[in-house]
Amino acid sequence: MNAGVAATRPAVARPAWLESMRHRPLVLGLAGLGLVGIVFVAGITLGNVPVAVSDTIAILAHRLLGWPVEVTWAASAETIVMELRLPRVLMAMTVGVALALAGATFQGLLRNPLADPYVLGTASGAALGAAIALMLPIQVALLGFGLLHLFAFGGALAAVAVVYRLSRLGALNSLTSVLLTGYAVGSLLAAGLAMTMYLAGSNLRQIFFYLLGSFSLASWPQVAIGVPIIALGCAVILSRARSLNGLLLGEETAAHLGIDVRRERLLLLGAASLVTAAAVAMSGLIGFVGLVVPHLVRLVVGPNARLLLPLAAIYGAAFLALADLAARMPGELPVGVVTAVVGAPFFLYLLRRFRAGYEL
Amino acid sequence: MRPDRFEAPSDASVKGFSRARTTHRTQSARAALAPAALFLALVTGCQLQPPAATPSPRAPEPTPLPTAASPAAWLTLTDDEGTTVTLAEEPERVISLTPATTELLFALDQGGKLVGRTDFDDYPPDATELPAVATFTGVLIEKVIDLEPDLVIAGGNNFTAAGDVARLRELGLPVLVVYAADLAGVLDDILLVGRAVDAEAEAGQIVGQIDDRIAEVGAAIERLEHPRVFYELGFEPEIYGPAPGSFVADMVVLAGGEPVTTSDPVVFSISLEQLVSQDPQVIVLGDAAYGTCPEAVAQRPGWDSITAVAEGHIRPVNDIIVTRPGPRIGEGLAALALAIHPGAQIDPPDDAGGELCAGE
Repeated sequence: MNAGVAATRPAVARPAWLESMRHRPLVLGLAGLGLVGIVFVAGITLGNVPVAVSDTIAILAHRLLGWPVEVTWAASAETIVMELRLPRVLMAMTVGVALALAGATFQGLLRNPLADPYVLGTASGAALGAAIALMLPIQVALLGFGLLHLFAFGGALAAVAVVYRLSRLGALNSLTSVLLTGYAVGSLLAAGLAMTMYLAGSNLRQIFFYLLGSFSLASWPQVAIGVPIIALGCAVILSRARSLNGLLLGEETAAHLGIDVRRERLLLLGAASLVTAAAVAMSGLIGFVGLVVPHLVRLVVGPNARLLLPLAAIYGAAFLALADLAARMPGELPVGVVTAVVGAPFFLYLLRRFRAGYEL
Repeated sequence: MRPDRFEAPSDASVKGFSRARTTHRTQSARAALAPAALFLALVTGCQLQPPAATPSPRAPEPTPLPTAASPAAWLTLTDDEGTTVTLAEEPERVISLTPATTELLFALDQGGKLVGRTDFDDYPPDATELPAVATFTGVLIEKVIDLEPDLVIAGGNNFTAAGDVARLRELGLPVLVVYAADLAGVLDDILLVGRAVDAEAEAGQIVGQIDDRIAEVGAAIERLEHPRVFYELGFEPEIYGPAPGSFVADMVVLAGGEPVTTSDPVVFSISLEQLVSQDPQVIVLGDAAYGTCPEAVAQRPGWDSITAVAEGHIRPVNDIIVTRPGPRIGEGLAALALAIHPGAQIDPPDDAGGELCAGE
């Protein structure tokens, strides 16, 4: 837990390749980007309707790069590639980046390995907001965004704001109280959600599927609005890597190191909450990514946030886009189920294999 | 959860929001992403969802179309949610997203135009040969696009998720949403769909046959006493029955019963206490097709004080024809009337549903 101690602990029983990887973060980063590229191409080529690879490439070249390719494909193929799969893959990657970064931030900020992006009530807040939006008889049509997205976004941010106020996180006090406040507020909101679902009638199915998460309705307007919000939050987090490293040593030590603890903590918390809220508003509740991707990266490169954060972002994007691909190949499975079913055993395996030398 | 359950449109919660019939759907316009435009769209994009049921006029008048927006349309219709649906030409490739409309298209002798269905369409047998483009979890939008339909018929009141309908419209497909809150609404929908697929004469015939059946049932039950009837939709984990004002409650009234309903239009379960105190004289087992038998009902603890149980008036019925708002609804009404009044002078329905309560 305590990085100060951990840093001096010799890394025992780590395989040689893992140890060598630790000192080659650039290789890891490039490999991750390569993986992102492969998943990107696969995500656009594959789906529950076959579109030939050559057609896919021709359509992309024609539409994105403006190459004068002769149009030999069906109009439906072009719609599928350009309007359905491309925004979907981009959205999955964006949300993957957001959740992985937010998870890494919360784990470091709260110095708790169980923290994930939803630890401060974001999930319950977003879910309750979405459920209430579905119950309202008003429908807002706004470039692919509904009341649901708006309410989910607002609900998530409101939940964090309440937790922040109640736990007086602004002061230099115990992190345990933040976690417990988050848990209590989350439970209260979850009860509200359960009540809303009970009264939801025919909307129950929609609420249910929102809770499981999906990218099936990703569209260009969503990408155009979601990506800038998430990019902004991620930029703030990435620029605060040094502070996060300091905070890992404990608030007092961080203060002694010259870090403005209250300000940095507020910035990191705000940015992580913002990207989480944007992510859940667009794709519903996708668990596991934000918990496990940072841990996986940490297993390899250690707790240094300056390596951890960018690598977690890259691998988060690849992992979630891959999970979404696996979710839509057999039909439309909820992507949150896939992330857990695929991710949990893999994570368990790694934990057992490389138990020694793990630090938060 | 059985998909058929969602077909019984038993939610009256949208009633009372019938005022606003104005519809202006915000088109997906990637260009209009400036914040000002967004805000404007947010303010003006608000619309009240019109109610599903306005029983008075039998069929919405097709608006003659010399409007600037649709210069060369074949037909313009207003669907059950008040959305104006424009068909550029006579539909040749139709996708049906509810089992009821799938049945209807075959009954209208337009089954040949059908290119896609949901994976729980089960009637007529020919329908099951078609590719399924929607599952319980939602519409497989890629598959719909790939089939290049020129008309998509979806279910209202979230039978087809509102998000899916919006997405299909964004992609330029005409989507006709049908939803019937009562039997009169079903007849309206038959005429509406008939008009959409250019089979008005056939639709008129089907409506005529159903009207005859309604008249026959009405005459047969006129002089009979109307017992208190509980139409059981499900038993586990709670007792599920019709909500007041719901489709099933309306059917029970037309079939010569006084419906025992839940406490509220948005509540679908009824406590045993309420059931006992309302003391139904007849229990109709809509869940008979899923394995509930009269003998099992009689043995449920606490049920023996109910008059229907004490006198043995527990009768199975084929739930699908009673609750599916399709062309067999007249037969469903006859089946329900015979379950309530076994001695009534009514022709037995064509399709009683084969083996009922086969599960036990």
